[in-house]
Amino acid sequence: MSEFLQYFPQVFTFNNLIVLLLGTWGGLILGAAPGLSPTMAVALLVPFTFHMDAATGLALLGAVYTSTIAGGAISAVLINIPGAPANIATLLDGHPMAKKGESQRALYFCFFSSLVGGLFGMLMMIVLTVPLARIALEFGPSELFWIAIFGISVMAGLSSGAVFKGLIGGMFGVLISLIGYSPVLGVPRFVFSDVLTGGISIVPALIGLFAIPQVFALAEGLGQKVERMDYKPKKGMLLKSFIENMKYVKALSIGSVVGTIIGIIPGAGGQVAGLIAYDQTRKFSKKPESFGTGNPQGIVAAESANNAMVGPSLIPLLTLSIPGSPTAAVLLGGLLIHGLFPGPELFIKDAAVVHTFIGSLVLAQVFMCVFGIMLARYSYMVMSVSNLVMIAAVTILAVFGTYSVQNSFDDVIVMFALGTLMYIGQKFGFSASPAVLGIILGPIAEDNFLKGKMIADTDVGVFSYFFTGQVNIIVILLCVGSIGYSVFMEVRTYLKKREAAL
Amino acid sequence: MKRDLIVSLVVLVGIIALYLSLGHIEMEGARVFPRTIIIIMLVLSVLLLIQSALQKALDAKKGKFPVGRFFTCFGLIIVYFVFMESVGFYLSAFLFFVALTFILGRADLTLRTGLVRAGSGLAFTIVLFILFDLLLKAQTPKGLLI
Repeated sequence: MSEFLQYFPQVFTFNNLIVLLLGTWGGLILGAAPGLSPTMAVALLVPFTFHMDAATGLALLGAVYTSTIAGGAISAVLINIPGAPANIATLLDGHPMAKKGESQRALYFCFFSSLVGGLFGMLMMIVLTVPLARIALEFGPSELFWIAIFGISVMAGLSSGAVFKGLIGGMFGVLISLIGYSPVLGVPRFVFSDVLTGGISIVPALIGLFAIPQVFALAEGLGQKVERMDYKPKKGMLLKSFIENMKYVKALSIGSVVGTIIGIIPGAGGQVAGLIAYDQTRKFSKKPESFGTGNPQGIVAAESANNAMVGPSLIPLLTLSIPGSPTAAVLLGGLLIHGLFPGPELFIKDAAVVHTFIGSLVLAQVFMCVFGIMLARYSYMVMSVSNLVMIAAVTILAVFGTYSVQNSFDDVIVMFALGTLMYIGQKFGFSASPAVLGIILGPIAEDNFLKGKMIADTDVGVFSYFFTGQVNIIVILLCVGSIGYSVFMEVRTYLKKREAAL
Repeated sequence: MKRDLIVSLVVLVGIIALYLSLGHIEMEGARVFPRTIIIIMLVLSVLLLIQSALQKALDAKKGKFPVGRFFTCFGLIIVYFVFMESVGFYLSAFLFFVALTFILGRADLTLRTGLVRAGSGLAFTIVLFILFDLLLKAQTPKGLLI
């Protein structure tokens, strides 16, 4: 906490404030535009931060991350389409409220709850990150290897809903990360074309896997009509909604706590946080039957949870290099292109950058609420942007973003090829998040595996080195537990389906 | 599921091909990690195969693959790439914007919508030029023009 307070004044530089302002506005607009996910928005922006100093660049990415999730509530409420996966639970009560002519009230609840949840999550992040980083300093190659494997296994199990496909996707990502010259031994691996000689860089892979499938998905959905609710502003609603929002202490508390816990668990993300918080608030409510018909507590729980998740999702990222959500995985790309390697040493070597970034995220929560309320009135304009324009704009930005990192047209080809492959993969039930995790964590796993093997060969042997020790055993059990749980859920769903079919 | 059956077979074939290509990696040390990953993928694709065979009877019908729109979009992006290196980033971006919005949105193309789309493309390209070229001084493929 003292480190955070020491660096907090650095957030208020002119450049930082401008970037936070633009990032928050841009994030809210991107979030409100249905079809553009926060992960894709951050992935597209990563190359732009290349031209900024590390703290400012990360502040921009953080502001966009947090405000796209809040902005996604606008389309969830007004057109019944979540702007981001994290807003799925928001529409359950948000859209019914809009149908009753209460769009303004519903959106005010969204932004106030997002602020409360977001600030709670940030507080938890500030309190927990440095102590966790200190613990992580004690980890050696074997522990870091297993933690990387845990990151892949958790994300793979949770993100796609199909455990084997998720794990295959994660391993596919690891294989992609191995293309090029081996960093330890310097020999080429899987270089089937000259384009692949330098390996696959992280930014083209991120942009390709997240942006290109969305371009094709938008093209697929052209011509679909949506039912749009009106936004009729009423005077005095702001203060009234704020007071009412703060009265929903139970929903705010459940949302903030669930969001924080889900955020810390690697891979879970805002969608899971929102749905669990919504479900728990309904269970604890005296009138559970009113949920789904326009109960403000449903919105409050979902929105406080999905924004409370933002800060904690960065805790495993900054301390152990394991992202807590798909968007956090993309943020990792942002750290890497600035030469910042997440892990416990980040808080020693680059303390100023990290704490300024965390401080910027706190400020971004406030900006998000203020600008969100201002934007709500004009949200219909954002949602009127045609999908055709979005397809063209996203493609051009994806091409520019990819090219600008290394001025390489080969990267553009790799980006497009990976994106097309992922789009086809999505049609068969695969998702991009495990593959991205594999690309990011693959080199960490291999590097620590080889280092550990070298130590083990001269010491206690490979088995003893990797399979004994408290931390190793705990993380191995977590890996087995996460995969086992996913398989169990899969079997249970299969048995239920079979029972229903009989 | 029939789809999963196809997927697992395709993954299986791909993984076997990758396993065979491991022989091209010169040093044994550089082969250890990729081989482990490939073996894990092999096991996973066999498990997926078994799962898909078990769940075949419970197959749920999926939506049709939008072949026409996918290939139109794919083709336009390829043409954009080809032109980008020869005519330059900004001009090709404008042409791509206009071509894509006209071709994919031909169903509701009128003189008014056409002008709006071309105008949006021009405005977008100008914003890109100011942001990337003048402010960020970023490198872009120059080609013959801009």
